[in-house]
Amino acid sequence: MTDRILTVRMEAHPQDSHTLATYEATGGYRALRTALSSMTPDDVKAQVKASNIRGRGGAGFPTGVKWGFLPEDLRPRYLVVNGDESEPGTFKDRILLERDPHQLVEGIIISSYGLDVHHAFVYIRGEYPKPARRVQQAIDEAYAAGYLGSDILGSGFSLDITVHLGGGAYICGEETALLNSLEGRRGEPRIKPPFPAVAGLYAKPTIVNNVETISNVPWIVANGGAAYAAIGPERSAGTRMFSLSGHVNRPGDYEIVMGMTWRELIYGIGGGIPGDRALKTWIPGGASAPWFVPDEHLDTPVTIDDVGANGSMLGSGAVIVMDETTDVVAAAHRIVKFFAHESCGQCTPCREGTTWLERILWRILNGAGRPSDLDLLLDVCDNISPGLRWPPAMTTICPLGPSAVSPITSIMRHFRDEVEAKIRTSEGASVG
Amino acid sequence: MADASDKVTITLDGRQVEATAGELLIAAAEKAGTYIPHFCWHPRMKPVGMCRMCLVEVETPRGKMLTTSCTMPVADGMVVDTASAVVEKAHEGILEFLLINHPLDCPVCDKGGECPLQDQTLGYGPGESRFVEEKRHHEKPISISDLVYLDRERCILCARCTRFSEEISGDPLIEFVERGNHVEVNTFPDEPFVSYFSGNTVQICPVGALTAKPYRFRARPWDLEAVESVSLVDSVHSKVSVESSQNEIVRISGVDNDPTNQGWLSDKDRFIYEHIHSPRRLTVPLIREGDTFREASWGEAVGLVAERLGAVPGTAVAGIGGARATNEDAYAFSKFMRSIVVTPHLDAQLDDGLDPEFAAAVHPRARIDDLERAATILLWGPDLKEEFPVLYLRVRRAAAHLGARLVVVHPRVTGLDLVATHTVRYRPGEGPATLKKLAAGDGDLAAVRAALNEGPVVALVGRPGLAEDPRLAEAVAAFARDLPEATIMPLVRRGNVFGALDMGLAPTLLPGRVSVTDTAARTALEDEWGALPEGVGGGATEILTGLVSGDREVLVLFGADPMRDHPDPTLVRSALEAAGFVAAFDLFLTDSSRLADVVLPVAAFGEVAGTVTNLEGRVQKVNQIVPPPGQARAAWSILDDIATAMGGSLGATGAERLNKEIARVAPAYRGVTWDMLDWGDGREGIVVPLRGADQPLRHIPVDTGVPTVTERPAVHSARVLYDDGAMLRNCPGLAGLAPRAAIHMHPRDASILAVRDGDRVLVSAGASVELPVVIDAGLAEGAVYVPFNLVETAALGAPRSIRIDVVREDAS
Amino acid sequence: MSWFADMLGPWRGFAVTFRQMFRPKVTTQYPEEKRVKPQRFHGRHVLNRYPDGMEKCIGCELCAGICPARCIYVRGADNPPDAPVSPGERFGFVYEINMLRCIFCGMCVEACPTEAITMTHLFEMSVTDRDDAIYTKDELLVEPDGTPRHPQPAGPLIDLEELKLGNGWLRATASSGRAAFEGLVAWTPSATFGAEPPERGQTDADVDDGNEGA
Repeated sequence: MTDRILTVRMEAHPQDSHTLATYEATGGYRALRTALSSMTPDDVKAQVKASNIRGRGGAGFPTGVKWGFLPEDLRPRYLVVNGDESEPGTFKDRILLERDPHQLVEGIIISSYGLDVHHAFVYIRGEYPKPARRVQQAIDEAYAAGYLGSDILGSGFSLDITVHLGGGAYICGEETALLNSLEGRRGEPRIKPPFPAVAGLYAKPTIVNNVETISNVPWIVANGGAAYAAIGPERSAGTRMFSLSGHVNRPGDYEIVMGMTWRELIYGIGGGIPGDRALKTWIPGGASAPWFVPDEHLDTPVTIDDVGANGSMLGSGAVIVMDETTDVVAAAHRIVKFFAHESCGQCTPCREGTTWLERILWRILNGAGRPSDLDLLLDVCDNISPGLRWPPAMTTICPLGPSAVSPITSIMRHFRDEVEAKIRTSEGASVG
Repeated sequence: MADASDKVTITLDGRQVEATAGELLIAAAEKAGTYIPHFCWHPRMKPVGMCRMCLVEVETPRGKMLTTSCTMPVADGMVVDTASAVVEKAHEGILEFLLINHPLDCPVCDKGGECPLQDQTLGYGPGESRFVEEKRHHEKPISISDLVYLDRERCILCARCTRFSEEISGDPLIEFVERGNHVEVNTFPDEPFVSYFSGNTVQICPVGALTAKPYRFRARPWDLEAVESVSLVDSVHSKVSVESSQNEIVRISGVDNDPTNQGWLSDKDRFIYEHIHSPRRLTVPLIREGDTFREASWGEAVGLVAERLGAVPGTAVAGIGGARATNEDAYAFSKFMRSIVVTPHLDAQLDDGLDPEFAAAVHPRARIDDLERAATILLWGPDLKEEFPVLYLRVRRAAAHLGARLVVVHPRVTGLDLVATHTVRYRPGEGPATLKKLAAGDGDLAAVRAALNEGPVVALVGRPGLAEDPRLAEAVAAFARDLPEATIMPLVRRGNVFGALDMGLAPTLLPGRVSVTDTAARTALEDEWGALPEGVGGGATEILTGLVSGDREVLVLFGADPMRDHPDPTLVRSALEAAGFVAAFDLFLTDSSRLADVVLPVAAFGEVAGTVTNLEGRVQKVNQIVPPPGQARAAWSILDDIATAMGGSLGATGAERLNKEIARVAPAYRGVTWDMLDWGDGREGIVVPLRGADQPLRHIPVDTGVPTVTERPAVHSARVLYDDGAMLRNCPGLAGLAPRAAIHMHPRDASILAVRDGDRVLVSAGASVELPVVIDAGLAEGAVYVPFNLVETAALGAPRSIRIDVVREDAS
Repeated sequence: MSWFADMLGPWRGFAVTFRQMFRPKVTTQYPEEKRVKPQRFHGRHVLNRYPDGMEKCIGCELCAGICPARCIYVRGADNPPDAPVSPGERFGFVYEINMLRCIFCGMCVEACPTEAITMTHLFEMSVTDRDDAIYTKDELLVEPDGTPRHPQPAGPLIDLEELKLGNGWLRATASSGRAAFEGLVAWTPSATFGAEPPERGQTDADVDDGNEGA
């Protein structure tokens, strides 16, 4: 059974996997030819739907279902590929963009054919100049080879792809903020509904998919949706890119089939903790996900639904491992500070709340914590994400605000004694 | 639109409430009597859901969800909870968030006492703050325009101001900068918030972040008294609230209504009040003594005027003005001149408007609110942004947000061109040819003609420039009235000019939209007034030439400044100098009243009550809030004294008494009394004539065959919003805003003359003035544009032809 | 009842009179002699300054707004940036109290957010001209060194020292009446110019050392 889809080529051809020559030599653009010559757009959509692939950007929404939301009668439609990979700990799209851009380009062309899109956009985060260069290079090569432009491969289907480099804002990874940014506005999330599938880029129906999701499309079309669905557990079909970082011996990007346990992922693939120190906690799906602890979660399976059932999310596949030497309050502070810095400032609870949380944590860390701060922290969190439940309720427009809540609820739930200890040691210095 | 009127039922806090489908939940709840707190939502702007204050719980298949009621349209069967424990907690939370960085300097904040943030904190906020850290700091108020201060510490970032400037006024010069906790509203570097509408942002700011410079620290809300009134800056008559403290008007705010201004005002409407308390206001009657004036008693001044008016035959007396007065004052003037002096020579316009019959009684006449439903709007008249700023907002809204097609025909680029579907430029004087071409859909105007085929059409017609023939507007109207479902709105700018025309201050009109040639109406009026002059009188220009030639001897200026407002100031000067006697009713010593023999100080806006009539024929009430300064008096009472001294009587014992007389005597105004306008629906004004009442004159525009004039260079002379008029000159906040005068030239014309931007030229007509050149690609080729009535161009007036001599620096 | 009772009858009415003849007298020989007034006595107002000489009044008009007699007239103005009159943006440009209208209720003192207006113990303010009863900033504002001003000179009737008394009002209205403030100098100097004693707990409060302590 296939256990690798996206990273085969880049491993086999480490020097030139990004070139058209290598791509074509290793079977590239064959799926496109198949799709254009022998499949209808509906066939493409049917295969993607049959593959059961779920969005790799974080929310894990089934891609085939999302594609089905496009209103039938409205044109033009747009496809936007979200390459604004900014979640701390996530670096999977980077290698896909940098090392196998043609795979993405082919995925875009096939998807656009299926969706009747004639202009697609690739939005890449501003801090990724090299990946953006590689993608642009691949697009140029594809134009030259007749895979892009008008009347692709004589099929009558035309497509243009525009690469856009972001200005360096995490929030532009949120799909509607990304669309605003792409339109030249401030990167601020829009109120939903309407969802992008109905009114997205330039108020036209728009599909926004992650780089990894679209990169899977050539394989799905080449091998059939059913073959993809057969990989891994039923509701977490296909392979999945994981970015393993933190206190592990072998950090890096891994493409794995979902379904293994966290123990296998951290100790097997990740090679365990340096110095054989004890595992303290880990973040299963990017900085905005609630944390897991060994006692409760080490032997639970790594699937979208299992992680969800345990009160967190697989998100963008960023696994950050922290060992026993970690100061969890400092770690939480650092994450909250990130979100406070990246808040777009549009809605009140996120703009004011995340900054306030950061400052309270800073106080606790620096010996000025007060006993009342424990309740205050949780209550401010509650005002951003009422009920502190998972998936989060929000008083905000987008989930960035509640993301800043996750690390705090995590440390308050699993490591409350450590927080209290910091406050106790600082009590002598506290005022009021 | 049909389904929008569908009624749905929602459950609001356990009550069954009816709402309109598609309406926003927050608006539906407010209509049903449930107030949902909010900051960023404004009923006249698109919702953004940013402040999160209006969170409510809505039942969904996945359970109750917190959602912003300002972004949620109502749907049938919706179950909403606006006061659950979760909602109350959310309200407290949001307010605490808003307040943690708010400076709480309420005691020195102009908004303190009428501040939505204060009110809602009291109503929905937490008892005290748990925030112990340092607040965010910014430099205290920074000046973002000539009229507005911005205090970024107080700002709660609701985006009302930025949305207003982008969505409503169309000059998006303020925007959010930075992100997260560092977001602030600011202008673009080196680009001040230059907008004719900046004051609206002050009014809609839910905190004291934006404050108006003229109002800064002038009063606190609790020592303000307020009356509703209407702005008399232009003939749109925006509804305003006039607020005073210690007998001084300190603020004017817009009042939301559908018929006129929808709550918005131009900065001129909003800040013009400063002239009322100018130290240069006239407070005692003045009588000429050689080259100067001496102060006189009312008895002496009135006696002198009565004596001089009675000393010549009635027809040797003429009256100009009345367009800034109330209907009551205008009526008193009309009655005084026609029945006491007995002269037909009366004109409220200064040859700068339209044919009086057309302006007063055009049929079918459009209402401002028709713009909301118009499919097509034809604008062939003045640049609305400069002359009718609030009407500009209404037309802009129709074109930018309501999907109306807008065709703008003007010699120069106008404020509405950005949202227009089609713009047509033509050389002034060549309007008739352009109209012919447009009507036929010839050549490049075929698409424009086609665009006019979908009704309802609203045609806004006026004089694009003062150098143009006023009959062009009537020709345009004659063309427009044949368009599908067309209605016509005549555009004449000055204050209450339509009221004055309706009161008979025109050579061809009697009070109540009656033609002077209507025998039946004449007889009826003569019975009331006792006397009526024969025949049709002369208009302003004819009156002035009559004074020069000696046909007329005495002139009464009734609040008019022809030296500044008549297109030919040279003629005006010689007329005023030739006149045997000139009496002027005025607020200030203007260029015109300075040449008078007696100057009578009159009461200004806010100092008298009365009715006024706007360009759609809507009668509204202006109210008094402060007393006139010194011995200044209401004009009607002065006229009554003069009439008595002349042995007659106006029977005017009060403005309301005059109003009752108008309601009896003037056919189109029959039955319209102050009582109706003070209470209930009448507060929004009444469009006359009332249903069932008659309006003897229904003017059907006809193409009078205006000749095309091809003069090179063709002169386009038009007003700008901030000109050098007497009120603006005496208004400290606005006086400095007048643009620098220049002569605008098309680049090709400039290259023919070999002048560059900034070069100086001598412009000569009746007078010569030296002006810098501005190269203006937005101007029709072969035309020059000279702004009317700026300090530098006042002597020039609006000549139909000029000579341009280039001033060469090196020649000297 | 008998003749004796009848005879005594007329004298009975004098019982109170006779009794009072032997009680101590309560009459104070005002103005030669003056009683010490209660700490929170409502006397003439003063406008205070901060120790650096800045005026405390910011011209917010809250006093005028709350005044039930409508006797206060305040107008604010922009602080000149190079020579500010008070801290912040705004200062009391005009401040007038019509003492003929004033009912000395003290609401202005309670409303004042900066403790700029306080009341003193002086009540002798008779005037011979109505205009003089309108106290302007000239009379109300203390000197930069804290000395209060009065339109009339000190004399047998007017003890200007009483203009320096009045701290009870500040203690009563200060926001610092919380236990956490004990021992802290938590309210700003007032009518009596200069450093203030720290806050005390309630147990000490009934020991009347006079508000005139400083």
